[in-house]
Amino acid sequence: MPAVAKRVKNLPPYLFARIERLIAEKRAAGVDVISLGIGDPDEPTPEHIREEAKRQLEIPENHRYPTSVGLPAFRQAVARYYARRFGVELNPEREVVTLIGSKEGIAHIAWCYLDAGEVALVPDPSYPVYAGGTILAGGEPYYLPLLPENGFLPRLEDVPTEVARRAKILFLNYPNNPTAAVASSSFFAEVVAFAREFDLLVCHDAAYVEVAFDGYRPSSFLATPGAKEVGIEFGSLSKPYNMTGWRLGWAAGKEEAVEVLGRLKSNIDSGVFQPIQYAGIKALDGPQECVKEMNALYQLRRDLAVAAFREMGWKIDPPKATFYLWLPVPSGFTSESFAEYLVEEAGVVVTPGTGYGRHGEGFFRVSLTLPTERLQEALVRMKRVLGKVSF
Amino acid sequence: MRGLAERAQKLSPSPTLSVDTKAKELLRQGEKVINFGAGEPDFDTPEHIKEAAKRALDQGFTKYTPVAGILPLREAICEKLYRDNQLEYSPDEIVVSCGAKHSLYNALQVLLNPGDEVIIPVPYWTSYPEQVKLAGGVPVFVPTTPENDFKLRPEDLRAAVTPRTRLLILNSPANPTGSVYRREELIGLAEVALEADLWILSDEIYEKLIYDGMEHVSIAALDPEVKKRTVVVNGVSKAYAMTGWRIGYAAAPRPVAQAMINLQSHSTSNPASVAQAAALAALKGPQEPVESMRQAFQKRRDFIWQHLNSLPGVRCPKPLGAFYVFPEVSGLLGRRLKGREIASASDLALFLLEEIKVATVAGAAFGDDHYLRFSYALRLEDIEEGMQRFKELLEAAL
Ligand SMILES: Cc1ncc(COP(=O)(O)O)c(C=O)c1O
Ligand SMILES: Cc1ncc(COP(=O)(O)O)c(C=O)c1O
Repeated sequence: MPAVAKRVKNLPPYLFARIERLIAEKRAAGVDVISLGIGDPDEPTPEHIREEAKRQLEIPENHRYPTSVGLPAFRQAVARYYARRFGVELNPEREVVTLIGSKEGIAHIAWCYLDAGEVALVPDPSYPVYAGGTILAGGEPYYLPLLPENGFLPRLEDVPTEVARRAKILFLNYPNNPTAAVASSSFFAEVVAFAREFDLLVCHDAAYVEVAFDGYRPSSFLATPGAKEVGIEFGSLSKPYNMTGWRLGWAAGKEEAVEVLGRLKSNIDSGVFQPIQYAGIKALDGPQECVKEMNALYQLRRDLAVAAFREMGWKIDPPKATFYLWLPVPSGFTSESFAEYLVEEAGVVVTPGTGYGRHGEGFFRVSLTLPTERLQEALVRMKRVLGKVSF
Repeated sequence: MRGLAERAQKLSPSPTLSVDTKAKELLRQGEKVINFGAGEPDFDTPEHIKEAAKRALDQGFTKYTPVAGILPLREAICEKLYRDNQLEYSPDEIVVSCGAKHSLYNALQVLLNPGDEVIIPVPYWTSYPEQVKLAGGVPVFVPTTPENDFKLRPEDLRAAVTPRTRLLILNSPANPTGSVYRREELIGLAEVALEADLWILSDEIYEKLIYDGMEHVSIAALDPEVKKRTVVVNGVSKAYAMTGWRIGYAAAPRPVAQAMINLQSHSTSNPASVAQAAALAALKGPQEPVESMRQAFQKRRDFIWQHLNSLPGVRCPKPLGAFYVFPEVSGLLGRRLKGREIASASDLALFLLEEIKVATVAGAAFGDDHYLRFSYALRLEDIEEGMQRFKELLEAAL
């Protein structure tokens, strides 16, 4: 059999093989393993959204091919959302494209802008698709460390000039997975200036912009003056509306980037099943109580978890957004050995920070997307095996 | 702002859809357009499939699923491949994607290195060349002829192979020609593929729409050695009138399937959960709706094919599958019709749309602009009306 292509071989190796094996062993041995590893909301999609999909899938027109760039009605709903929520004006025809989940656009934007050997600036740690898409397109990620002392924001002034000149894309993501950090509008303004100076496309991933606590409302990158000329933003229905399985998102902003993503897509797929797009419209336009309720639930879990970790000796501030906690591992552990220890001793799964890049070493991520009792049980078990930790 | 990547600059939008869009625009303006442009069944998705989707929604089946699709769906695909195609695959050799188009894309991405040549018989489905180029491959077009029912012969394939050739794309039943390869013909092609150490990408999306007692043969089923180098692509779009739902799949040797899953985990993740539930119902449920659609298509084909062949300057072999007729219209080209210069099938298609509101797709979209593609995925009355308009136009113009 002839071999598979090199581009796939160049993808970063899957890091968690050992832990996965451990988990499988534990489960096989009858241990009730609790996972704090998965970033997938545990509650189903709100009923009014599901009902809209059910209604729409009766309509014969919706059994036909959608267009790859998406229903005008969906793109208009996205534009309304931006206007209402962020005061950002978008032309739904030219500045919004529908995606099969925001991941699709994140993965394919590198295809649109990078030729072989060209550079994308990728935060480290970060969601693996920024580097993955870059590598699949034959480009080279240049990593920007996200460090606790900088509030997990990249220091753009530290990017060597010759690298910034060679780079064509800058990936960013706030509120951030995995660090739960948020960005201020002054940071976004700095990003716009940097992008102008070095002629870069900013690709901002706003997957968690609606998942926030204590009254904090994260802003869109596109609300920054000048942002639409230098960047696009990826939005997702997945997290705020518990719609991960539906695969619906969008890219919005700079017209050229939106157009070329749409053109690329027309050669890869034929768009999103229309009832799913109508469900998305319902989600965006409909009552937002469901989002508030989910956030209240995550906030409660966050508070439980923060209190428990503080009791064990962690000095942490409750995160303002996302449903993650990003914590340092206790002394004597690496990210991976700590995660393995917890599986082994407590039957609890956390994600080693190294899964998100080299600078994730020394950290682990806890996800709050599991039933509250399960989270409590996991915390009790961790307390039992860890006692008091030191750093 | 510095430019786009080279591959993005070269990218063209999918052309068959743009014709369709134009026709739809006229329709919106209230014109009675007869649309022979559609690439999808005009039937509705069968009831039991919609019900399964609604049940899945009621049950809150709305979260991420495994990237390759839920196990029961992959098992159902294995059963289908075994039952219908005598192909034995295990569920970890199946990858469910967002339509067969997406499956083809993923397969090409994991099989091609930059500079690899890919043999594409002409006429071809319009997305193949762009998808090959997106994977860095070089399309090598090999013409076929109506005399040979638009089928690639082993000697054509052999003559096109170079040391750089890596893959052959086969599509049977075919879009746009409706040709169907017979077992002996596939054996001849497979022999060349083995000799030349080629991958075969076998697009079998029209499998169920096949007429006159023809049998669909998957090239992968010929021999284990052939199966080892073949990626079979199929889906639910055409057989179950589910084009909108976006579920297709590939069956491939394990390392290829795993590479495709890895790739998909970096792009779209799982195909929509609700559509997976619907596809499962389609594959496991009653198959009568497929047969009744097939019979309806066959009736329409008989009518349209006879009719087209009776027109001056138009001729076509009888299609045995899919829902397209692909007549050669060379006899109408290089003339003035109603004062207009008709140099190519593209000119003719535009002429037909503007003069008699009949939408077709010019052969340019499929690699040869001496042909028009007529889809018969529309009501028989509309086909009759369209043929009547075409006939009258030619009588008046010639
Ligand atoms: C940072 C980030 N961006 C994007 C996504 C993908 O979301 P979607 O479901 O819209 O593809 C995720 C999902 O985990 C994420 O964590
Ligand atoms: C030959 C061929 N292959 C694949 C496809 C794509 O099918 P799907 O709707 O499953 O993406 C089509 C659709 O027109 C086609 O004609």
